[in-house]
Amino acid sequence: MKKYFNHIFKRTKQKNRTKNKEVYSASPSGFQNFLLEIGELSRFTADFFRETFSYPYEIKEFLKQSSRMGLSTLPLISITAFIMGLVLTLQSRPVLVDFGAESWLPGMISVSIVREIGPVITALICSGKIASGIGAELGSMRVTEQIDAMEVSGTNPVKYLVVTRVLATTFMVPILVFYSDAISFYGSYVAVNMHGFISIKLFIAQAFETLHYFDIIPATIKTFFFGFAIGIIGCYKGYYSNNGTEGVGRAANSAVVISSLVIFIIDLIAVQLSEMIHIFSI
Amino acid sequence: MEQKHNISDNSNEYVIEIKHLQKSFNGRMILSDINLKVKKSENVVVLGKSGIGKSVLIKCIVGLIHPDKGSVKVFGKEVSRMNRKELDEIRTRVGFIFQGNALYDSMSVRENLEFPLRRNKIISDKKEIDKLVYEVLESVGLKDTVDKMPAELSGGMKKRIGLARTLILKPEIILYDEPTTGLDPLTSREISKLINKIQNIYQASSIIITHDLECAKRTSNRVLILQDGVFYAEGTFDELKKNDDSFVQSFFVTV
Repeated sequence: MKKYFNHIFKRTKQKNRTKNKEVYSASPSGFQNFLLEIGELSRFTADFFRETFSYPYEIKEFLKQSSRMGLSTLPLISITAFIMGLVLTLQSRPVLVDFGAESWLPGMISVSIVREIGPVITALICSGKIASGIGAELGSMRVTEQIDAMEVSGTNPVKYLVVTRVLATTFMVPILVFYSDAISFYGSYVAVNMHGFISIKLFIAQAFETLHYFDIIPATIKTFFFGFAIGIIGCYKGYYSNNGTEGVGRAANSAVVISSLVIFIIDLIAVQLSEMIHIFSI
Repeated sequence: MEQKHNISDNSNEYVIEIKHLQKSFNGRMILSDINLKVKKSENVVVLGKSGIGKSVLIKCIVGLIHPDKGSVKVFGKEVSRMNRKELDEIRTRVGFIFQGNALYDSMSVRENLEFPLRRNKIISDKKEIDKLVYEVLESVGLKDTVDKMPAELSGGMKKRIGLARTLILKPEIILYDEPTTGLDPLTSREISKLINKIQNIYQASSIIITHDLECAKRTSNRVLILQDGVFYAEGTFDELKKNDDSFVQSFFVTV
């Protein structure tokens, strides 16, 4: 009898082992993949912070990446920001004219640009230009074993490639947003002058009259987060790219898609938080 | 064709010691029981079919891949137990020549060669760095490529620059991952000669992963055949060539 139960027990154990094996060897579902991705990204972000504050500091590479990213996106941001300011003014003007509030135009445009449109549009442009560039660059370095070569030569690739790029995007995106806001103001000034004359001095005075610290500070803080998200997602996707050239393309593409989505999520959270802070401060 | 002789058995100084190494990927066992000892200034050639785990083996030695089980000792120290700093220190003493050369695309030849020196802060004097750069470029016969970009170089030139970048740190061990793959027979022969020259000048120990039998014959002190996750056969090139085993013979049919 004892022998029989032992036999049954063994068989059940074996069956369960096989079952478990099947469960573990089965490819993860979409949701499991999503959770795995979040976990990997969190670990990657932790590595970034650990390497950021440890010596030696890659200042030369950081400056090189910052200037490269800034200069490469400058023409695109200039054109987009000018058109953005111009179109926004032209579209808003008829409504304000109907209400006899045309003089509010510079103030209204400045609030829209500084608080929302400037940061978000600039971050999206940077996402398209910079995140895809980082994803493709690190991805091709990964598949051609350049990252491995760096590692075996005694260089920490996270410190040299990732930290410098993420810090560069974190500090360059806010600067680019300020620049983009200024160009948008100029576009708006041109649009206002299409239907009449207003001096640049008066335009600036009216634009800044409606702006408060409460408009500028939260909008500036969120641009640092936009820059960080662009850098870390671009680097993560490129650093862990695989499957040859196809993987490089996929890394660049998903870097843009995910960082754009994250920009909107950060924007939503930032708006909610700033509203809450505003309510409590009144 | 020139052939190499055995390294004296009196030399008991092992620079690499691998015991019962195991590595699997996605449930598939690649290396099941690898045992290997490499002596100082010995050239060991590893032969085997594609995808059998030859590159995995040498990547375990430099800590690019972590073994599932077993011990990998380099200069008497266990690689898996090293912290980042210790690993970086060991890596400056172990050179790795990648199959695809892995030259940094965005840097010129000079910057590629300077990179490991500057990064490891071995030398900071500009004149001394320049001197070393020209010295290693001369040793691989490519002194006039110093300001060229990797994209401007031929396959053979890229291999040599990859070798020069490794040599600049004067490694005591060099791991070659298919050093002659994709090269014409003449350039392959030159690379093989260069491997021997490096062994003679730097007294470096090497593990050479290759499919090129001529390269194996020219460069090896010892040849190992990897099959089913273990070393199936071991000996000098001539010993293995004369071996009666049909599988071993299948590697030498073309020679």
